[in-house]
Amino acid sequence: MNTRKPIAAALALAGYIIMLVPILFVVATAFTSGSTLRFPPEGFSLGWFDAALNYAPFTSALLTSLQLAVASTFLALAVGVPATLAIYRGALPGKGLVEGLFLSPLIIPELVVGLALYQQLIVTFRIENWPVLLLGHTALLLPYAVRVTGAALASSDVSLEEAARGLGASPLRAFFTITLPILRPGIFSAALLGFVTSFNNVPLSLLLQSRESRTLPITMLDYVQQSYDPMIAATSTLILAATVVIAVIAERTVGFAKIFGGINR
Amino acid sequence: MNRRGSAALLLLPGLAFLVFGFLAPAMGILFAAPGTDAGEIFTRLGAMLTDPYDLRIIGRTVGLGLIVTLVCLTLGFPIAYILARSTSRWAGVLLALAIFPLLLSNVVRTFGWLVILGSNGALAQLLVSLGVTDTPPQLLYTPFAIVMGLTQLFLPLAIIACYSAVSQVDAGLDDAARGLGASRRRTFWDIVVPLSLPGLVVAATLVFAGSVTAYTTPYLLGGSRQRMLSTELYSYSSVTVDWASASATAIVMTILVVLVSGISARLGRRGATA
Repeated sequence: MNTRKPIAAALALAGYIIMLVPILFVVATAFTSGSTLRFPPEGFSLGWFDAALNYAPFTSALLTSLQLAVASTFLALAVGVPATLAIYRGALPGKGLVEGLFLSPLIIPELVVGLALYQQLIVTFRIENWPVLLLGHTALLLPYAVRVTGAALASSDVSLEEAARGLGASPLRAFFTITLPILRPGIFSAALLGFVTSFNNVPLSLLLQSRESRTLPITMLDYVQQSYDPMIAATSTLILAATVVIAVIAERTVGFAKIFGGINR
Repeated sequence: MNRRGSAALLLLPGLAFLVFGFLAPAMGILFAAPGTDAGEIFTRLGAMLTDPYDLRIIGRTVGLGLIVTLVCLTLGFPIAYILARSTSRWAGVLLALAIFPLLLSNVVRTFGWLVILGSNGALAQLLVSLGVTDTPPQLLYTPFAIVMGLTQLFLPLAIIACYSAVSQVDAGLDDAARGLGASRRRTFWDIVVPLSLPGLVVAATLVFAGSVTAYTTPYLLGGSRQRMLSTELYSYSSVTVDWASASATAIVMTILVVLVSGISARLGRRGATA
């Protein structure tokens, strides 16, 4: 876009090609009427979409993934938002340490967390897969909940709440009329980020899943190992379409540069 | 109730989740894998650091991680720089297009490379028809495939980190340097790059940590030929059920990430005071 910086422009173009072209190839091959995952596609057909939507392992895994993503996002916010309030508004000794503790799941590799939960809770204590999966995903999303809602709280003025209290509002009233509206965009961002993170997660779910609780990304990985057909491209395209809808909603409401800005501080 | 008490009460559920759902099991990896004791894990860990097979996997993981980091910074910084300095209304669209893939499943993003790099894939066909090679080259299950896949995954993170860093460098400084007679290149290397160094460090850390722990990409694009720590960890724990090796691999992986995060935090602090 700027011809006076030819090297930078060429590198930028290469970057966009690597980021986006593979996605275009997935979409293009999903519409093939042929039976292999190859490019250029042979003819046009919606048959593979039909096959994907009627393939029971995918549909049941989709349900599992949606349930898990909604439940873990809800739980992470339910325990994370009060913790955020305590960290950023409470008179807390060792505030930095507590915040660090809540961010710690970001540092340990997810595959390692998955292994730990598998060894300790599933193998040793014989806990069912589903609750452990939920526990793991919730722990994974906690840093997002705390950091993203914390960013919204940190950028607001604490004196607003003090003023409300000074004017005679009860703590509960001050919370619902002042603090909660301040937190709302942060909670929305955290919920969206949490949902997407849980829904797409592979490393953490990999060891924790069972036949009854297998998530969609993992079912797709398993499927590719057995057969290499365009149904995987069709499924991916459907996920892509849903993700575009989420992205548009995110962009319209909070702006997703801002959403991701919160987590990468 | 006093404020300290209510703060503690608000923290309690989250702390309970972290301790029982994360910290306690994570500690267990070091000391209490099922049917294994700490001694066994540490013996295996020691053996790993001398065994040629294990060393090759550690080397490949670190090496590819470094290459991906370098590629992501080389491609990501120019994108961030152009977008941050552009006044075009397309800049917003291009930024959104760069960040959007972060919402999309790694599995979906990585599948595209199977179509492109497969044995009869688009790239092989292109190379043959251009006369570069006579037979379709093996592209899948190579280090090249892994580097491409990981670059695709982590470039958006590099762009965001670099973008916020470049945005914070006053564009007036560019103009001032140019006004004082510095060439475009000199302005870039002497003004823009040093001032956005903290962002580059963040970007490098995110990409490296992501690359050495990613599972989907090495699994799909590296296969059994290009094993990395992540795919080894999975096969130790679910194929061979070798808990000591799984734990030892997990420890190596964690140390790598913690080490790099520590170094970058230190570099960041130095950058801030310089």
